Amino acid sequence: MEGESGDMTLSSSNRKCSGVTGSARKIKDNAADWHNLMLRWEKLNEDGFSMAANIVNIRRSQSNEQLVDESSSAPTDGAAALQDECCKLQEIIHKMAAVVTKMRRLMTSQRGLQDLEEFQFGPEGRKSPLFHNWTTKQFESSSRVLLDAFSLELKLKQTILQELAHTSTSNICMVYLSCWLHQPFIPPQLSLTLEALLLETGHRPL
Amino acid sequence: MTSVRLMSADPSDRGSQRCRLGPGLMSVLGLSVGSPLLVSLPGGSCLCTAWPRPDLAEGFLQMDLKCSSPSLIFNSCKLLNLDPSQLTPVPCLKLKGIKINVVVQSADFKKHTAPRIVHELVKDMLKGVFVHEKHVINLEDFDTEIKYVVVKNVSPDSAVSGLITSKTGVEIVGVQTVQHYKSLLQDQHAVPLGGLEEVNALLREMLELPLFYPGTLSSLGVSCPRGVLLVGPPGVGKTLLVRRVVGEVGASLVVARGPEVVGPRPGESEEMLRALFERARAAAEEGPCVLFLDELDSLCPRRTSSAAPENRLVAQLLTLMDGMNKSNRFLIIGSTNRPDSLDPALRRPGRFDREVVIGAPTLQQRKAILSVLCARMPTCPSVDMTELAQRTNGYVGADLSALCREAAMHAIREDSKCCLQGSGEQVVGMKHFQEALKSVSPSCLRSSLGRTDLSPVSWEQIGGLDEVKLKLRQSIEWPMRYPEAFAHLGLRRPRGVLLYGPPGCAKTTLVRAAATSSHCVFLSVSGADLYSSYVGDSEKALAQLFRQARACAPCILFLDEIDSLIGSRSDSRTPNSVQTRLLSVLLNEMDGIGLKMVERRGTARILQAEGAEENHTQEQLDCQDVCNKDVMIVAATNRPDCLDSALLRPGRLDHIIYVPPPDQQARLAILQVCTKSMPVGADVCLEELAAKTELYSGADLENLCKEAALLALQEENMEASVIKYTYFLQSLSKTSPSITAQQIRTFYQTPPR
Amino acid sequence: MSKPALTSLHQALRKSFQCVENNQKLWKSVLAECTPLLSSLGNLAEQSRALSNVQISNTPLRLFPDLEGRLRFKLLQATDTVLGKLNDKMTSLQSVRDAISNQVCAVFQLYEQNTDSLGLPVVTERSATAPSVTDMLEWLQDAERHYRHQFLRRKTLLQTLRADNLSLLESAPERWKSLESPTADDNITDTLCKVSFFMESE
Repeated sequence: MEGESGDMTLSSSNRKCSGVTGSARKIKDNAADWHNLMLRWEKLNEDGFSMAANIVNIRRSQSNEQLVDESSSAPTDGAAALQDECCKLQEIIHKMAAVVTKMRRLMTSQRGLQDLEEFQFGPEGRKSPLFHNWTTKQFESSSRVLLDAFSLELKLKQTILQELAHTSTSNICMVYLSCWLHQPFIPPQLSLTLEALLLETGHRPL
Repeated sequence: MTSVRLMSADPSDRGSQRCRLGPGLMSVLGLSVGSPLLVSLPGGSCLCTAWPRPDLAEGFLQMDLKCSSPSLIFNSCKLLNLDPSQLTPVPCLKLKGIKINVVVQSADFKKHTAPRIVHELVKDMLKGVFVHEKHVINLEDFDTEIKYVVVKNVSPDSAVSGLITSKTGVEIVGVQTVQHYKSLLQDQHAVPLGGLEEVNALLREMLELPLFYPGTLSSLGVSCPRGVLLVGPPGVGKTLLVRRVVGEVGASLVVARGPEVVGPRPGESEEMLRALFERARAAAEEGPCVLFLDELDSLCPRRTSSAAPENRLVAQLLTLMDGMNKSNRFLIIGSTNRPDSLDPALRRPGRFDREVVIGAPTLQQRKAILSVLCARMPTCPSVDMTELAQRTNGYVGADLSALCREAAMHAIREDSKCCLQGSGEQVVGMKHFQEALKSVSPSCLRSSLGRTDLSPVSWEQIGGLDEVKLKLRQSIEWPMRYPEAFAHLGLRRPRGVLLYGPPGCAKTTLVRAAATSSHCVFLSVSGADLYSSYVGDSEKALAQLFRQARACAPCILFLDEIDSLIGSRSDSRTPNSVQTRLLSVLLNEMDGIGLKMVERRGTARILQAEGAEENHTQEQLDCQDVCNKDVMIVAATNRPDCLDSALLRPGRLDHIIYVPPPDQQARLAILQVCTKSMPVGADVCLEELAAKTELYSGADLENLCKEAALLALQEENMEASVIKYTYFLQSLSKTSPSITAQQIRTFYQTPPR
Repeated sequence: MSKPALTSLHQALRKSFQCVENNQKLWKSVLAECTPLLSSLGNLAEQSRALSNVQISNTPLRLFPDLEGRLRFKLLQATDTVLGKLNDKMTSLQSVRDAISNQVCAVFQLYEQNTDSLGLPVVTERSATAPSVTDMLEWLQDAERHYRHQFLRRKTLLQTLRADNLSLLESAPERWKSLESPTADDNITDTLCKVSFFMESE
């Protein structure tokens, strides 16, 4: 995790000059990690889309070839290419799964912070907010919203991976692709949630 | 100043509102480049901006019809010469405001485009255009859905034309579709209709009430009628009537001809029908609309038990008609000439609420139609419309128009024959109409069974039988020609006449002479016409014959050899044979309860028909019309004993006339008629011949003369110049009378009744 | 003497042609930017169509019950974004059109103010180097009309798009492309060539 956070412009700059410690420090780092993980997800999504599109195109040309002449022995290289693309897409999905796993870890640590606070200050939580006005509970719920969305999206992507190379009707292929591209389970307000998180933790100037 | 030649505009000037003319003419008119100019053309005017032609040539004018009178937009300009006085420079100020109607291509666009967007687009399109009040701005060059803008008025009020700038306020009064707009333009010149005023008024009322006062009807708690079924024989003007009424009311018309809707693929027809209703619905949103289903019988035939594709179409139409709710302000008019073949489910209130029957035109109606048709024809003053109307029994509107056309053709032919220039005054005279009458026969009789080509026979061509002739004239000719006299005396005209007598005694010829003299339609049937191998077909054919005869009444229906055609019920050998069934049809048709609904003619007078006898103050023509609504049956037989007694009672065949074999006097007359065209020798004594030919019938006598002539040829080898008396005597010895004394005795002993 | 009036009109004409030339380039570049936007619009419509044609409950995606609604929302949102961008482009096109319109309008006004001193023989006189004033006015008006037409057609196309009519959206790229009229564009280029001597003869 540390190795990955090395390229994070946001957190690395903040880590040095910020004076916050303890729970606040942890929450702030978590927020930065959320931001970076989501960026990484977007990158993976883009790469994956081009592969998924390739798969669909190969499938389509294959079925066209079959229509043109049944006895052709050529599709072997097409099949090889398909196999190749599928493997690459598999790779992407693995990486995405890894991202979601890390998100889950962030969630666990958030949960831990919450538990700690309950232990320290009782069920009502601490009197003064850690940053501006969010309670620790709010950090936790925001994290949960983010995590839920991404895990559902990952599940969708896994389903698509399984089906994509086996479908030939163009309509359903198109739906798969547009699902991949538009990520229906990541609603636009999710980026607002993230921005709120970053704002609260002081990553973004007020 | 010389005139300029108008030519079509250069394509590169399309939409530029430029008017290209020579620079010389421009300076004469005091125009500078781009200054507004009003060009007056036959049928309208056009506002454009003056530009010199690129080649600076004089004598030509090309203009882009960006802003012109409505009539010019749709009718392309023909090549013509313009006088420079038709070009007037007009002052064009910048306009403060303008009120317009927008004409768009599709109702879809109208429905889905926000008024704000239309306003924005139109305003942009109109910028920099010179406009004139009441003109149409052509926006087709923009290639958008917005096609035209109709300028309602401009402000300031003092101006009639002006320039639209970005500061001009544009107010859109309404949005129409091109179709609707064009139909409104076309309606301004409709054809007049003759003789259908009553039906016209009726239809008009039905259209106007629900379309223009829907509030009134709903406040009365009455639902508006939605469908009208027009029933009538072909050619009476159903289609024309609908178009006319729709035009008068100012509604838009969506027409569906039955065969056009039906498509070859399953489901296609239903889809077309739905699309049609959708179109009507869209049109109804802009104003009153009529959906006209022409030839409804071909679209919706009676549903059969088999899964014919028509069944689905009928079901679709029913569903669509039921699916119309109050908000769909359009009316459905169906027209058919075979109402019986329509599906009965269509003919109930809620679907086709009203049925309007347009019958074959009556005498008065025919007169009205003829005067409308002849209004634009140069007719001779000798042409008597009343007489023509009398002569054109059974003619429908289409026949009458064909008649007029034919008469005009005759006039033209004659004209071109006598003077080759053909430029003389072409006047259509009565004789042309008479010629035309020969070639145009009423369309309702065209496919009729008993239509016979009747060569006219005059009473004089029949020798002798004066008493019979008188009786026939009494019972056939008089009631047809002088009905008012009959009505005056409270006399009922006979329904039918039976002629009986030995064969060959001119029964048929007598009837033909009667038909000729009474100017009425003559239908004749024989057994061969009626008999069919299918059960029920013969009866149907006979009923159909009566229907057609009634449609063109007054009419003589001649049943020759009625004994062979129609049997007697007392004849126990053939119970329930075709003959007896035909007899029952005949009895029914002769004095059945009444006319069928669809055979109605002339709306209001039906009620008077029964009591018409008392109504002698009525106009003569009216009287003639009403009294002659019937068909006169004339039957002939030589075996009166074989006829059913029910047929012979008064009220059916009430005049029974015995046509006796000719007596000596009559035989002489017959011989005179027969030998009129023969070169008879001076020694021939017809009186003696007449005395010698006891029991000879008319036909026998004719044969006798023929034989004599043949003998003359035989004996004298083609050079025979006269027929000598000996030949007559020779042929007399060869031939024998066809009538026996026994027969005559039978006729005397057993009068038919 | 008409000389000063003619000179100033010539000056204005030069300025106008300069304006047309500059704006022609600008117009082309903006249109080029529109093409990818239009194609993505068509693409989105195609995706929506595919979604409508597929019964999600019959596919492996039935595991995600609200998928269809969410995807549709996303598609609409994306369409909205593209349309917003196109709207910005239209604003640029409009400014091009307005610039040309205003310039042409100004030249005409100048001409109209001087019609007394500029008689028809003067304005229709052509020389070896310069076309006549009327010719140039005509070309300017043609160019102005061309841009007005182009702009309005494109604007109408975009304004009449509706989210509930997929076929309209789908056909939008082709219709957009069909609005291009190379001949009219060439005409303007030709015009600019024709006046090139005149432009240099200051």
